[in-house]
Amino acid sequence: MKKKLRDFIFQELVFVAEPNQFGDDDDLLEAGLDSMGIMRLIMYIENEFGVTLPDTEIEPDNVQSFNALECWILRHKNS
Amino acid sequence: MSVDKSAILERLNPADSFTLAMDEEIRRDGLAGSLACYGLELANTPDIDALRQRIDEFGRRFPVARASLRQIGKRFYWCKRSDPPELFFQHHCPIGANEAEFRRATVDRIMNEKQPRESAAPLEFHLLAGPSENVFVMRWLHPFCDARGADLIIKYLCTADADQRQRFGHPETGPLVFEQLRKYRWWQKISLLLKGKRYIDRLDRLSSVQPLRHEQSPQRLEFAVRRLSEEQTERIVKLARQQVGLTGTSLYYIGCLMRALDKWRPDSPGEAYCVPYAFNLRKQRALSPVTGNHLSALFAQAPREIVKDRQKLFEHLKQQNAQVIRQQEDYAFLPLMWAGSWLSLAEYGKVLRLSYGSGQERSSFWFSDIGRLDLPADSFPGAEITDVFHACQVTSPPSLAFLNCIFRNRLTLSYNYVEPIADAETIDALHRLMLAELLGETD
Repeated sequence: MKKKLRDFIFQELVFVAEPNQFGDDDDLLEAGLDSMGIMRLIMYIENEFGVTLPDTEIEPDNVQSFNALECWILRHKNS
Repeated sequence: MSVDKSAILERLNPADSFTLAMDEEIRRDGLAGSLACYGLELANTPDIDALRQRIDEFGRRFPVARASLRQIGKRFYWCKRSDPPELFFQHHCPIGANEAEFRRATVDRIMNEKQPRESAAPLEFHLLAGPSENVFVMRWLHPFCDARGADLIIKYLCTADADQRQRFGHPETGPLVFEQLRKYRWWQKISLLLKGKRYIDRLDRLSSVQPLRHEQSPQRLEFAVRRLSEEQTERIVKLARQQVGLTGTSLYYIGCLMRALDKWRPDSPGEAYCVPYAFNLRKQRALSPVTGNHLSALFAQAPREIVKDRQKLFEHLKQQNAQVIRQQEDYAFLPLMWAGSWLSLAEYGKVLRLSYGSGQERSSFWFSDIGRLDLPADSFPGAEITDVFHACQVTSPPSLAFLNCIFRNRLTLSYNYVEPIADAETIDALHRLMLAELLGETD
């Protein structure tokens, strides 16, 4: 899952010079993931992983790193 | 007229053609064309030699900066000139003159300079030097680059390390509009085009509010910059997060301006506020492409009765935005731009501006959220950047464009308006209402 998220974010939304150096806990918001990017990311996640992420949970804690995103998705995938 | 094809540097991409059509519309309205500027207020006189060296280097690396826009057949191209224009100009405030007035008049002249499109320089840098004020202004003609590209050019000039400057423009890509369109097969492109058409048709069911009265002929662009304190900015960012969430910060500014305008001119004609805004196709923090336009457009629309209710308005804008992205209607504008680039400028301008139903202007105002600038204050050659400002020309109607950005934790609002349709006094009144909306001091 994280591989797919990484591919989508680095190919479509945020430029980082060395994607391999970007850790799973590194801050995506600091790296430049903006409001429009988050919106697109959520659409991608919903289509790719078949989950619905509630609007009320779109907050920095859930989108700020790959680990946070994975936890958020898994919480809804398993519910 | 025969044109030497070996002089061609680049063909305009569909997003460039989109901005070119708006340039034509602005010119038809009697104004200077689609000029925009990015200004840096400096604490002292900069290092002129270093600045000039970087500007010259930029001109060599990106020759389109000194090109001329020419039409060959139906298409437009950036072409080499036999006598390329200067990129850098210095303006000195005369001894004893009022500096603020000198600055106002000089920027006004830069932004209202009427020149034929073919001879206008795509890019110019101006340094306004006075005993206590120094301002650096970058002016560009919109088909040359978009706001993100302008930001990259300023960053290029603010990068001291020559190796770091080499990274700008890399990786080299073609126009991002084509990169996006390549992701779709031909039947998907047609479906996307129809989706785009239906999206616009849906917007056009409601006539757009025109907050300004267009009883007089447009004469010139004027702009008013208002800077808020760090405390006010922090409060506004927090309110925006509460009202529209992490995914729609720009919508907060749009909604607040809709409400301010509705209070300012409650009797203005129209059923709904309709606001176009561009979104950039570049990845965040990417250093390429530098030149050209790489954007698509979206609209925020809200019927008047919803605008009157603050909570309902933000909820409406948020839902609308989510729906547009969910349905991929944002990307649907790309094939429309491609198709439009084959039309004559006059036809294309009409399609872009006028509602299909009523034939009236579609936009209530133009909007651009430039966002939080990550330009280090000490990065300009030899001078600290104390503040920034932006300005852009706009068609008339709507005669009003609103730009905002955050620099050094302070929100800067730029109200661009066409005189005499609006004046400084009316913009002051609008700003008071806007500020109250931004700070959540209204019902």
